[in-house]
Amino acid sequence: MDRRTFIQWGAGLAGLSTYLLSCKPERKIPGVIVGANATRGHLLRDKESHRPANYIDKELVIVGGGISGLSAARWLRNLGIKDMSLLELEDHVGGNAHYGQNDLSAYPWGAHYIPVPNNDLTEYLSFLAECEVIVNTDAGGLPVYNELSLCFDPQERLYINGRWQEGLIPQFGVPTTEMKQIELFLQRMEEYRYKKGNDGKDAFAIPVDRSSKDPLYTKLDEITMKQWMQQEGFSSESLQEYINYCCRDDFGTTMDTISAWAGIHYFASRKGKGANASHSDVLTWPEGNGYLVNSLRRSVSEFIETNRLVTRVTSVKEGIFIDYLDGKTGQVAGYRAGKCILAVPQFIAARLLEDKVRQQLVKEKVHYSPWMVANLKVDKLEERSGAPLSWDNVLHGSQSLGYVEASHQLLQQDKTQRNLTYYLPLTQEPPAEARKKAQAKTHAQWVKEILDELRIVHPNIDEAVTEVNVVLWGHAMAQPLPGIIHGGIRQQLAQSPDPRIQFAHTDLAGISIFEEAFYQGINAAKKMVE
Amino acid sequence: MRKENGAQWLLLVAVFVIATCGLIYELVAGTLASYLLGDSVTQFSTIIGVYLFSMGIGSFLSRYFTGNLLEWFIRIELLVGLIGGFSAAILFLVFPMAASFRIILYGLVSLTGVLVGLEIPILMRILQDKVEFKELVSRVFTFDYIGALLASLIFPLLLVPHLGLIRTSLFFGILNIAVGWYLASYFKKEIKQGFLLRMLAILLLLAELVAFVFSESIMSYSETMTYNDQVVYSTSSPYQRIVITRNKRELRLFLNGNLQFSSADEYRYHEALVHPALSSVSSLKRVLVLGGGDGIAVREILKYPAVEKIELVDLDAKMTDLFSTQEVLRSINQSSLLNKKVTVHNEDALTWLRNNRELFDAVVIDFPDPSGFSVGKLYSTVFYQLLRKAMSPDAVAVVQSTSPYVAPKSFWCVDTTLQSAGFLTKPYHNYVPSFGEWGYIMAFTNTNRNWYAQMPDSLRYLNRETLTQLFVFPEDMKAHAKLETNRLNNQALVNYFEEEWGNYLE
Repeated sequence: MDRRTFIQWGAGLAGLSTYLLSCKPERKIPGVIVGANATRGHLLRDKESHRPANYIDKELVIVGGGISGLSAARWLRNLGIKDMSLLELEDHVGGNAHYGQNDLSAYPWGAHYIPVPNNDLTEYLSFLAECEVIVNTDAGGLPVYNELSLCFDPQERLYINGRWQEGLIPQFGVPTTEMKQIELFLQRMEEYRYKKGNDGKDAFAIPVDRSSKDPLYTKLDEITMKQWMQQEGFSSESLQEYINYCCRDDFGTTMDTISAWAGIHYFASRKGKGANASHSDVLTWPEGNGYLVNSLRRSVSEFIETNRLVTRVTSVKEGIFIDYLDGKTGQVAGYRAGKCILAVPQFIAARLLEDKVRQQLVKEKVHYSPWMVANLKVDKLEERSGAPLSWDNVLHGSQSLGYVEASHQLLQQDKTQRNLTYYLPLTQEPPAEARKKAQAKTHAQWVKEILDELRIVHPNIDEAVTEVNVVLWGHAMAQPLPGIIHGGIRQQLAQSPDPRIQFAHTDLAGISIFEEAFYQGINAAKKMVE
Repeated sequence: MRKENGAQWLLLVAVFVIATCGLIYELVAGTLASYLLGDSVTQFSTIIGVYLFSMGIGSFLSRYFTGNLLEWFIRIELLVGLIGGFSAAILFLVFPMAASFRIILYGLVSLTGVLVGLEIPILMRILQDKVEFKELVSRVFTFDYIGALLASLIFPLLLVPHLGLIRTSLFFGILNIAVGWYLASYFKKEIKQGFLLRMLAILLLLAELVAFVFSESIMSYSETMTYNDQVVYSTSSPYQRIVITRNKRELRLFLNGNLQFSSADEYRYHEALVHPALSSVSSLKRVLVLGGGDGIAVREILKYPAVEKIELVDLDAKMTDLFSTQEVLRSINQSSLLNKKVTVHNEDALTWLRNNRELFDAVVIDFPDPSGFSVGKLYSTVFYQLLRKAMSPDAVAVVQSTSPYVAPKSFWCVDTTLQSAGFLTKPYHNYVPSFGEWGYIMAFTNTNRNWYAQMPDSLRYLNRETLTQLFVFPEDMKAHAKLETNRLNNQALVNYFEEEWGNYLE
């Protein structure tokens, strides 16, 4: 054997192990990219549509069947309004709280939990009682939450430094100096939670509009979360990674772009207390917030019309003319409404109203995060050491938000199969590019990306996974960038061109959470009957 | 010259194989020790230390080896193949003799270390006249370290997942011996006992091949050894590992390694579980049993002639089938599961209770201890609220509630949870030799009753006098602290249980 053969031989041996690993036959994982809604939605952008021949009269029309639209409809129905229609583009209502179902359980396609609500949200609490999420009130007046809705233990775990630890705040293997910063940060947030401004209002309230206007706090909306962290000397890498995770989780964007006010709001706005729960607890269901959607839907089902792509909303003296395309027949049709609630994102509202100024403003100021959500059906997974499978399972330092076990709230003891919902906010590029790239990806490419990551924590994921379905949210939520919440942009967008038209959407709240959508709907509804 | 060169490279390849094998044995020992003893940091660190130190001893001893070095080298090679190859199998088998396990573990590691430590110096001496010193050192150590790298890569990536530990060590034992055999054949002119060595190599090779093929049974034999007695039956259901052992005196059932009953004293447990509750219900017609797939609680329940029907809900069909069909097991439960009053439902108890609309006069709950989050659900407020809905106004339920001596917080947490679900309770306990002090809690809503009036005659354990003692708790079986209620969103009981039994078993 000469030197050359020796080198060849050595290289061959080194390659052997990787070769043996990679020569396992590729298995095609069943599943699809669900929903061709982008195509239908883009009709609005790309096509000129005809005016319908005649219009049906309606007292009130709600455009959009997300939480805001449903909540508005519910409020109006409770006031006795009967001559009303709710038009929804998809074949189902629910917006971001949409869900799916297989033989195992339901699973969320988007929003999947609500935190224990603040106790001053009377209307919201009574809605939750309607849904049997609140079952009683204790002697001290605190709501008693349904134990089947409160997230079961174990709730959260984080894979960090090669091990699953309990809870999402980094601890395992984190140096003491960093731990001190993390503690200090949480202490600061705890202080902010109960701070009040010079106007007597909570510094960080839900809905956002109930927050104090004290400049001491609102000036936090002028800088990014990252800048604030730097100002305050929070340099710990683990802490920053955690904060960045939280920002991506709630706002779909990173801490170097998001407003510090919004970032702190995430930690400091929750003050809820129940007889059997505190503000750190969450309420969840296998179908995620689809559970709440179903309750809303049932209360207003007679008004809902699905597969309606609204193409134009024109306000003239004679009424509000609402043109739509019937997704089933392809026919154009229309309503002439006395009043109209546009419960759609602002980029759609601006287009429906054919309002160029609004379109420009939205284009400049409002940025929508694209997301990918996947649901995986899996057999028994191999586990790394540490904390057991929990409801929320996060990998420290990952681009994704990890996964939530949709089947966590099922009561049966032994589950041989599970549904896992995997969340990935597409934050690596600016939204438009990320959106384009995401739409170009095939099912197989998404599956590969997801499995490549989950293999770190579940070595047998390739054999265990039996189905992967994927949903893309092109415009999942408007990002609370600096200036959106307290800089006047929201207020400007909320101004209606015609008092008979009102907007209801979390775009106008600045942050995309269930409570905001719920109150957006109620507030618009109230203005309709003023 | 050609032949000389070939021989030199052959020996270097041998270094490579030796280095790979050597590191693999060390990794096998480390992994196995962390599997069996836990605390992987300590195990790996001590094993690597002992191994390297032993290699040093080997190197030191190499000076005393003289004469035909090649022959020595082959002998050592075969010896390493033998000891290293069988190391994992040996360690698995001796593990049940816990006291001496570490001695054997470190003994094997040192022995392998010494032998591997001998190899390189001897080899260098064999080659010293054939190669220039700087070339020699460079080549030998290059191969040595490449082998180590290869071993460290393929061990976690290929070997452990695909071969398992026993087969991995045997596989490398075979490699070692094969190298020995090949060297013995290649250099047969240069060594005196060539034939003997080759025969020995083939013999060892065969032995390891046989062991490789039968490694599955080595594994299961080592399972037999973990239990003190002979395993007469073992099977895995989707939910648990069921093992039945027996000795001259008794038969024992283990689920996932935890003792469920011993035929010698199970009557103490089951009489205490069933009779205080059932004897206190005046109109006892319908009885529900949750868990208890062994049918022994049902045997006790059938002692009440008034009982018209018994519904038994146990998740594991394998358990209830086994206890309905196996003759030995049927002799223990007196074929209770075949009684026509009894209906078996192989369903999840919580789901079953949620769908149930019937009312029962007595409920006997005999679940496994709350050692994990999934079983913990069966001790939660949600579960007990559903239980209440399944009970007639005069009904009594009884819950097996782990040991109040070992786990007082766990025991009293069950009590607290039952109370917060709206029950009145009567906690009690007795002594079951194979378990120790064991606890039960009766739960009911109506306390106005003739307690224990219908107690059957001729029980083996319970009588009037013992009955009154059951309810007396000594100080060391009380909680002495305010306990949390076990809810689905805090799983307080599982945490108490882990803490208490964890401490007890340490």
